[in-house]
Amino acid sequence: MALKTRKKRIEHPAVSQRRKTKFQADLAPAEDRSVRLLKEELQLSSNTDFLSDAVALFRWAVSERKLGHRIMSEAANGERKVLLFPRLERVAPDLVLPRVDIKWTGRELESLAELVSAGEANRPTEALIRAMRD
Amino acid sequence: MAIVIRRLEEHDEVENFDCGDDALNNYLKRHAWTNQQKSSIGVSYVALDEDAPRTVLGYFTLAMASVPRDAFPKKYVRGLPPYDLPLILLARLAVDRRFAGRGLGHALISEALRISLRVADEVGCRSIITDAYRDRVNWYARYGFVPIEGAAATGPQRMFLDMRTIRAALPR
Repeated sequence: MALKTRKKRIEHPAVSQRRKTKFQADLAPAEDRSVRLLKEELQLSSNTDFLSDAVALFRWAVSERKLGHRIMSEAANGERKVLLFPRLERVAPDLVLPRVDIKWTGRELESLAELVSAGEANRPTEALIRAMRD
Repeated sequence: MAIVIRRLEEHDEVENFDCGDDALNNYLKRHAWTNQQKSSIGVSYVALDEDAPRTVLGYFTLAMASVPRDAFPKKYVRGLPPYDLPLILLARLAVDRRFAGRGLGHALISEALRISLRVADEVGCRSIITDAYRDRVNWYARYGFVPIEGAAATGPQRMFLDMRTIRAALPR
């Protein structure tokens, strides 16, 4: 007599639908040493934790500079040092420029009107392309 | 040498700055901070070495300007937008001569153009103009500035750069 066996359905453990991004970086030996030292100082055991904290700090710095806040340290004696980080300066909203009056000759205004009302602007020069891509 | 470009600050060291031009030296030493902070008639940005972050090696000054629509000759008015024409003035740009030839001028104008684009995106602006010394006209022309005709033969040459040209140079 054949025994009927019930097939037991095996449930796979729930797999997170969110994909994790792998991050790989080529570090110079000095940078590698810095990372190891920082991990020790901060008692971080994994590169993932290190990167996660670094991103959090960077994200905070970007958001502060976007608001126009300066980032500085203050020593016990009150001496302050302002963080200068070129990439952060790019997001700082130091954009409000004051207004000035310029004198124009009649011929300059004609020339300006012709340039401004041109249907197409000039193509960028090589130097301009480099300037905007550097 | 790692270069930082940022807004001029009160305690930046400008006294030893020497670009070889008295007017440009004097503006930075005597007027740039006052004009920026008190009079609000120009914002100066300075180039500094990260290792000596107070010593100014180069600078440029930006301001907004506009041309009233009714100032244009009548035959051109129809082709223009029905508003005053907003412009950004690249008022000054100079590099300390001890640091000439190291790409500081290129770094400064790159930053000036980036800032101008951001300003144009935020407040609307059609072009940048500058009054170039005659011996610097070719340098500005390399970046696409076009001479505006009609300037006196002996004074500076007013030059024009269209924002559309700058946008076209951005990486895609």
